[in-house]
Amino acid sequence: MKFSIYLALVLLLVPLQTTLLPHLSLWNVKPDLGLVAAALVGLFAGELEGLLVGLAIGWVLSLFSAGELWLSLLTNGGVGLLAGFLGRQVSQMTSVALGLGLLLVSLASGVFAALNFQHLDGSQMWWMIESIVFPQACFDGVVGGGLYWLLSRRFDVIRLRTE
Amino acid sequence: MWMAHSRSPYGARRLALACFALLLVALFLLPSQIQGLLQYLDGPVGYVVRIPLEAIASIDAGIADRWEQYVALQGVREENQQLRKEIEWLRGQHSQLRESVAATERLTALLQFKEQALPTMVAAQVIGRDATNRYRAIILNKGESDGIKPDMGVVTPAGVVGRVVKTTGASSVVLLVTDPSNAIAGLIQRTRDEGVVEGTQQGLAQMKYIPLLSTVRDGDRVVTSGLVGDFPRGLVIGTITRIDKQEGALFQSAELMPEVDIGRVEEVLVIQTSYGQSTKAGAGADLLGKPSP
Repeated sequence: MKFSIYLALVLLLVPLQTTLLPHLSLWNVKPDLGLVAAALVGLFAGELEGLLVGLAIGWVLSLFSAGELWLSLLTNGGVGLLAGFLGRQVSQMTSVALGLGLLLVSLASGVFAALNFQHLDGSQMWWMIESIVFPQACFDGVVGGGLYWLLSRRFDVIRLRTE
Repeated sequence: MWMAHSRSPYGARRLALACFALLLVALFLLPSQIQGLLQYLDGPVGYVVRIPLEAIASIDAGIADRWEQYVALQGVREENQQLRKEIEWLRGQHSQLRESVAATERLTALLQFKEQALPTMVAAQVIGRDATNRYRAIILNKGESDGIKPDMGVVTPAGVVGRVVKTTGASSVVLLVTDPSNAIAGLIQRTRDEGVVEGTQQGLAQMKYIPLLSTVRDGDRVVTSGLVGDFPRGLVIGTITRIDKQEGALFQSAELMPEVDIGRVEEVLVIQTSYGQSTKAGAGADLLGKPSP
């Protein structure tokens, strides 16, 4: 059952991210649903599942992006793993705390990705961080926090996390 | 937010950490092997993912069609009047060009040029945009099974769109001409000066390495030079909007407005003929206005 849910999640993320989200982008920036999904899975299901689902999401999304495979694997897998670890240390997570956490993680992974762009000089890198990485991190935080808030209203999230 | 003691099985945590550490080591020590291993799975996974992707893309296209046909019709009357005026003007231009074509054909025959071999092209539909914000790329519904390979050029009848950078069995990713990571060999049509066309972060393009003595000016058209890459000679890339000539620099550069409206492109043609095959036959002639299959 869980495997089917994860499979559906990974398969649906691609059309959501590549076809629908460009219409909802603000200033040509859209949230990274892969990162948000990996973080939520890590938070609810633990570090191992967070890592594996994050890796699967990273790999499948990299097939539909001009970006590097290793970067996608590393950021999505790493976020799933990190969220799993953090989730184990916190018994009651609020949507604001999750949103802030996702903002920081997305910012860190975005800066890491920007540093790996070889053709950028200092000003171009700053432009990228200011105009793409930071707005996307804010977007990720809002979307992640919002999703968690919706889930917490619909389900008993504490029970979900302990199961 | 309350802090709590870990309830996770210790083994699962250790396994997760070990997996991640192993992945890190493998990615840094054996990057090409890992990539090669995953490439075996890219094809089948690409086919599976293509099903929901195409379904949602067709729904999306349907909604966009309805929007364009019924809702977004404001200002069509004014546009129609303006277009009628443009048609009149273009008719005049057309008759002049027909005269020029006839003259060119006569001269070509005189010089015994071989008939130019047009490149083989595959039509493909745009079904999505890059999954990240860091690249300007589009996703096509054709892939390796349709004969598409990395580095092939992608065009529309208006001009150059970009080049293929990644393929799966059923889809491919095209890096747009406006992406800063992209570079295409260009030629200023009027002055015949060559340079390299790259994308800019603002979503436009720029031509670099234009000779300092070039008489390039605003409004000059830039076409593919056909010397490097998989683009035949003469496909329109864009129009120069600004020249940047810095004191002491060895070259000048120019900002370009791409000919293709990258944000609205829906169908494209992928050039399958490799470099050389398309340009050998008609080395002197341009392909302007002829990118048909």
